[in-house]
Amino acid sequence: MFATQLKNELLKLFARKRTHIGFGAFLVVQLLILAMLQLPKAKRAFSDLLTSNGYLPAEYYAGLTLGLLIIVFTISLLGGLYVALVGGDVVAKEVEDGTMRMILSRPISRLRLLTVKWIACAIYSFTLMIFLGVTSLLAGTIYRHGFGKLFVFVPQESIFSVFSTGEGLWRYARAVLVLGVVTQIITALAFMFSCCKMKPAAATILTLSVLFVDFVLRNIPYFASFQKYFISYHTACWARTFADVVAWSSIAESLVYLGALGATFWIVGAMAFCARDFKS
Amino acid sequence: MISLDAVTKRFGARLAVDNVSLTVPRGGIFGLLGHNGAGKSTSIGMLLGQVAPDAGTVSIAGVDVFADRQRALAKVGAIFETPAFYDYLTGWRNLRLFCEYSAPFDAERGREVVKLVGLEKRIIDRVATYSHGMRQRLALAQALMPKPELLILDEPSEGLDPEGIHEMRNLILRLNREWGLTILFSSHLLSEVQQLCSELAVMHEGKLLFVGNWRELDADRQWVRVQVDRQADAERGLTGAGLVDLFEYDGRGRLAPTATVPQVASWLVAQGFAVQALHPVERTLEDFYLETIHVRDAVKK
Repeated sequence: MFATQLKNELLKLFARKRTHIGFGAFLVVQLLILAMLQLPKAKRAFSDLLTSNGYLPAEYYAGLTLGLLIIVFTISLLGGLYVALVGGDVVAKEVEDGTMRMILSRPISRLRLLTVKWIACAIYSFTLMIFLGVTSLLAGTIYRHGFGKLFVFVPQESIFSVFSTGEGLWRYARAVLVLGVVTQIITALAFMFSCCKMKPAAATILTLSVLFVDFVLRNIPYFASFQKYFISYHTACWARTFADVVAWSSIAESLVYLGALGATFWIVGAMAFCARDFKS
Repeated sequence: MISLDAVTKRFGARLAVDNVSLTVPRGGIFGLLGHNGAGKSTSIGMLLGQVAPDAGTVSIAGVDVFADRQRALAKVGAIFETPAFYDYLTGWRNLRLFCEYSAPFDAERGREVVKLVGLEKRIIDRVATYSHGMRQRLALAQALMPKPELLILDEPSEGLDPEGIHEMRNLILRLNREWGLTILFSSHLLSEVQQLCSELAVMHEGKLLFVGNWRELDADRQWVRVQVDRQADAERGLTGAGLVDLFEYDGRGRLAPTATVPQVASWLVAQGFAVQALHPVERTLEDFYLETIHVRDAVKK
């Protein structure tokens, strides 16, 4: 029954018009970013960065590098917002619409219902990140007629790396997978708020507020010694997979930290949900 | 079948249900009557394990709802005033989806209940295209899917047109008579409750004011309607003369145990009232309900 219930939850998520609009919006934003990367100023800055370090821009200004740039900008613009929107909706919207009361008139335990919904939501956001990774790479590759080599520059993480096409593809795929995993923290946070007595929009806004405050604080020098307590520090671990020598222990530490935090969010959300009264 | 034992529920400062004890026997249609906000929906919420009581116990078929909710609700179907569905999915998919939260979907049973509620021609359409009446019928179909022994209907006729109300009423009667379902019918529509239930409970401001067969109450007493020129004087006089126990709205009064209609007529004529109408009337649920509420309010004052 669990598999059937999970399949149904996924069907509910993927059959919604909002899902199609959301995925469509991602495609539009990706294409817009691709177009912006063609602006002379952007191209020049990119070329200057590579040539000043002794690399040929033509080799790196291709599918892989463009794909990665598209991912970074799309995530910054839309990724967090959309994942928070989905996570914030998953319980609160059903309560608001009245379908939750219909579900809870059936003999299903609240904990089981929540578990099914959470897993469905996690699969959904993971799928979204994979979709983002694939379509970004496709957009860049189609535009530049090939993968090319991969160039990665992340100043905050002290990463400046270049990879051959084969290595670049592997690194790109691995980073997208890790991105899909770390995104789960946004899902879990939004899900926790969604389980509390509030409107879906409030759950989304609260989630984004927490992430924003986290990001701002992390970038204030005063908090430099507390880096490892911030969510944004650990979510950035997907970018650290591009380091020449990957510090897997640091990445594992981040994933464990996010996993523990996600589990905490889930437990708090489940407690709030199980203690709630559902009434019209 | 249903047992609420000294149940109390408070929402903040508001006492929604106040020490209510109620037993609903198996096999009948039991009415739960009360104004909006009387505590009916909260009581139903507690029966379904959706609202946790602050005190007291709730059980269905002898199983405590809050100790073993899954077993208690295994043979229960419920519908609400405004049934909600996933509008972007078909009626059939919705039926399947709600059913699979608790049991595997039985397509044969699905076709049977869809036919019973008369949705077979529209069941593969998206719910977004359904009218309120069709949604209500789909809700009833999903409530019937797990082969329930108890059906809880919370304001099922709300928002339906007269034809829809008539259909719903017939369906409820059929489910009770042919399928043998125990039905808890909550409504503030007195005419609906009157046509469906003899046994009922009246709730008011969270309290239970009456439980039992309202038709049997005062069954040996006669009610009359008196219309005269000086109505207020006549009502006072008849009550003072011991011919009528009490008057309700519209000149309807309950005769004293020994009084008769001719005696009332003679008294009115003797007192010089110009009698416009004097005839026996059948006591409606509305009379009973208003009397119950008014007595309660009078006691409170």
